[in-house]
Amino acid sequence: MIKNYLKIAWRNLVRNKAFSAINILGLALGMACSLLIFLWVNDERSVDSFHTNGKELYQVYERSYFDGKVDASYLTQGLLAEELKRVIPEVKYASALDYASPPGIYSTFEAGDKINKMDGRFAGDDFLKMFSYPLLQGTLQGVLSAPESIAISRRMAESFFGSPEKAIGKTIRYENKEDLQVTAVFENLPANSSQQFDFLRSWIDYVKENNWVHNWGSVSPETFIQLRADADPVKVTAKIKDFIYRYKTKDKGSLVELGLEPYPEKYLHSSFKNGEVDGGRIEYVRLFTIIAIFILLIACINFMNLATARSAKRAKEVGLRKVIGANRSSLIGQFIGEAMLLTFFSIIIAVVLTMLLLPAFNTLTGKQLSLPFAQPVFWAALIGLLVVTGFVAGSYPALFLSSLSPVRVLKGSLKFSRSATFFRQGLVVFQFALTIILIVGMIVIYRQMNYIQTKNLGYDRENLIYIPIEGNLVKNFALFKDEAEKMPGILNISKMRNSPTIIEHHTGSISWPGKYPNLVVSFADAVVGYDFVKTMKLHLQDGRDFSKDYADSASFILNETAAKKIGYKSPVGQTVIWGNLPGKIIGVIKDFHFNSMHEAIDPLIIRLDENWSWGTIIVRTKAGKTQDAIATLGKICKSLNPKFPFTYQFSDQEYAKLYKNEKIVSKLSDYFAFLAIFISCLGLFGLATFTAAQRTKEIGIRKALGASASNIVTMLSGNFLKLIAIAFLVAFPIAWIIMSHWLQNYAYKIDIEWWMFAIAGLATICIALLTVSYQSIKSAFINPVKSLRTE
Amino acid sequence: MLQLKNIYKWFNTGSNRTFILKDINLDIKQGEFVSIMGPSGSGKSTLLNVMGMLDEPNEGKYIFLDQDVLHMKEKQRSEIYKSHIGFVFQAYHLIDELTVYENIETPLIYQNIKSGERKGMVADMLDRFQIVGKKDLFPNQLSGGQQQLVGIARALIVKPKLILADEPTGNLNSKQGEEIMNIFKELNGEGVTIIQVTHSEKNAEYGSRIIHLLDGRIEKES
Repeated sequence: MIKNYLKIAWRNLVRNKAFSAINILGLALGMACSLLIFLWVNDERSVDSFHTNGKELYQVYERSYFDGKVDASYLTQGLLAEELKRVIPEVKYASALDYASPPGIYSTFEAGDKINKMDGRFAGDDFLKMFSYPLLQGTLQGVLSAPESIAISRRMAESFFGSPEKAIGKTIRYENKEDLQVTAVFENLPANSSQQFDFLRSWIDYVKENNWVHNWGSVSPETFIQLRADADPVKVTAKIKDFIYRYKTKDKGSLVELGLEPYPEKYLHSSFKNGEVDGGRIEYVRLFTIIAIFILLIACINFMNLATARSAKRAKEVGLRKVIGANRSSLIGQFIGEAMLLTFFSIIIAVVLTMLLLPAFNTLTGKQLSLPFAQPVFWAALIGLLVVTGFVAGSYPALFLSSLSPVRVLKGSLKFSRSATFFRQGLVVFQFALTIILIVGMIVIYRQMNYIQTKNLGYDRENLIYIPIEGNLVKNFALFKDEAEKMPGILNISKMRNSPTIIEHHTGSISWPGKYPNLVVSFADAVVGYDFVKTMKLHLQDGRDFSKDYADSASFILNETAAKKIGYKSPVGQTVIWGNLPGKIIGVIKDFHFNSMHEAIDPLIIRLDENWSWGTIIVRTKAGKTQDAIATLGKICKSLNPKFPFTYQFSDQEYAKLYKNEKIVSKLSDYFAFLAIFISCLGLFGLATFTAAQRTKEIGIRKALGASASNIVTMLSGNFLKLIAIAFLVAFPIAWIIMSHWLQNYAYKIDIEWWMFAIAGLATICIALLTVSYQSIKSAFINPVKSLRTE
Repeated sequence: MLQLKNIYKWFNTGSNRTFILKDINLDIKQGEFVSIMGPSGSGKSTLLNVMGMLDEPNEGKYIFLDQDVLHMKEKQRSEIYKSHIGFVFQAYHLIDELTVYENIETPLIYQNIKSGERKGMVADMLDRFQIVGKKDLFPNQLSGGQQQLVGIARALIVKPKLILADEPTGNLNSKQGEEIMNIFKELNGEGVTIIQVTHSEKNAEYGSRIIHLLDGRIEKES
């Protein structure tokens, strides 16, 4: 019996090549798209899932009640890990982890005649025991317990020493100031690890270099703990909540609590809302899962629509089969089977398509995805996809066709019942509503991205270069500045502790005369060099820039928000106290964005320290002369700082990096929207073809009675347009709700405007009209004599 | 073999009730060859459909092989008619996507007969109607007469006790029609009960009994 069904299915497929192609292609596109998303989602979910101790690993985060707000972050105290392990019996291992050089900047190493830059961290001795980064050389016991010890990756070992075996025990020079001993070599970190580094230095050195760690009010590193297998995380969480106050007195203005988050969850859930973990990348994972389901649904609806539209042709077969003894269930089986067969072909095409699209998709998402043919899960997923899609796509035609009464079918042509037509039209409306939602989404995301890219940040990020302060540049900065500023193509030079793209550093110890004693206001703070305002092209509202011509060691520049917060009528000349350092406000600058647009602009206080030992040199170049300027800067750096390779970053590119995720989402939403409209139109085309075929006789009669071709086209296309119009009405409010929700993520955002909907609507109508018109026009020009005779 | 008692069938148009079948009483014995005649719209085909269980009357009683058909469950009814009744249509109604061979084979598939057995039975049938050479052709590659032969072969494959034929020669020329009627006669001789609907006096004469319908009533029998 199955052979018989397959035979019929196959012959139907071959006989109606165009429709089979539309069906299979539409479904294949939909499936390829959902396969890609499935791979991406799967990969996102697999990040950090490989740690053997995963279930017992937790990251500590700090919740702070500050300035009337609850906030949280992963930054913790420098000695917290050691103390947790010492005091809390349930903690088996604990380790801190912090950047060796500021984020995004690599440390310079030298071994033999090789000089190279590497990215790495400081970590505690327990770190490699907790996380599954297998050692190739060395032993876990005491690996980072000695000062000046370093564990390096296979990649780093190979680049400096040739192989992991040769690297172990060797010394390597760090930042041209310390000699470190390689105590272990670990395997390169897998791509699905959220932590990425090439070396780990001992925490002992970190403590030595950073005196502030003994101050329990300051935070910087991340802290990880591994609980004993029998420990209850809820109890431990309760125990550590007020842990900080063992080392520090309670300050009513700013309460601090500790919390625990299971480490494997952190990658997808790393945003905080009201001091609790809430959202993060998981939102994109969910969003794309929904889009994948939508697109698959659109493709399934095509299938259902085409199949039912064609049922006029299949009805006779159904009637006959019933007359010669088929019962309903065997007919349902037959049609579902046919759907499965088509789905099967679609899956094969989809897999091939996916393989072809993967390289581009990988470039787009920055991942290394591949189809996991070796994994049984993948095959199970494919079979699942086949069964579900085949079933969803085949169910309606199967139920509909198998319910036809043989006498009615065999007696004359099949008339669709009102409810069947209604259902089919409902499907088209649903399909187009989804498509329109995707298009509106695409437009809004595009506009928001555009807004971010073109918004005036308050400083000029074009022709601005960042150079890390390292090696001799620390003490030779003044020399560097003098020499470089004389060169053509270079306008101004200043320096800064952070990079201006992101200022994360905050302080709660700003006060001023007349401030309520218990009020703590969190200020973003920056430490800069002379000519900062000039180099950044910031806009001074009042006052002046830091300058050599004044004694500026106790001077501050505020941004507008900070000035407002403090509340001076004319701030310049007034007093502000930073910690124990009282100083005068010398300037107020207009607000500029020193964070992503997700965040509102914080109050900012800037002080001068020309001798700060790390950070970024900021160079303003002349427009069009940037390449020359870089060559010049390279030369100067080489001569002043020969032990360090010259590296630099462009400010505009650093800014773009803040929106890496959005960029991907924006690109993907473009593709998905186009795909959705393409698949929907495939379906519409098929439907139009069948409607035209079904109404051949009617069209013939109308023409014989004197209808013009344009009358006929209007009549045929009008019906479809009505459906799309209804789809608008359904889609617009939904799209509006979804997109305003998405925009909530931004402190600075565009407004959703009517024209976005208008464009989505017009585009859909135009494309749908083009699709339908081809068939309408074709049937409108058929000679009526011919169409009436064939009936 | 089958009895129809007080069969009524109607449809409502607004407040008017239009009768298609009106008080039909009929008793057909095993081995009879019955022709049903009458003008267009007299209810011939509906009567045939009721007897073939494709259609249900609004009122009345239908006994087939001593079983009350109208009070049966759908499944039982389809069981009975699958194994006892074969249909032949004016428009042949073959499945376009299947070859001659497969068309004849399909009813056996629905009776869950094994593939080996099916082959033998279809081969016999092809032999009997001398269409072995055409077994791999599709219906649209055959003449009308040949298509009707396939239609009859398909009806006979399940060895039915009753064949219902709705104007089996209506689309055929006279020579082809004669051939088909001779086949029916032959089958009747083998004991198969045949009921045909026809317009043609000549074809009606093949039957042992002629029933004339007019406006849904049995007008006369001869």
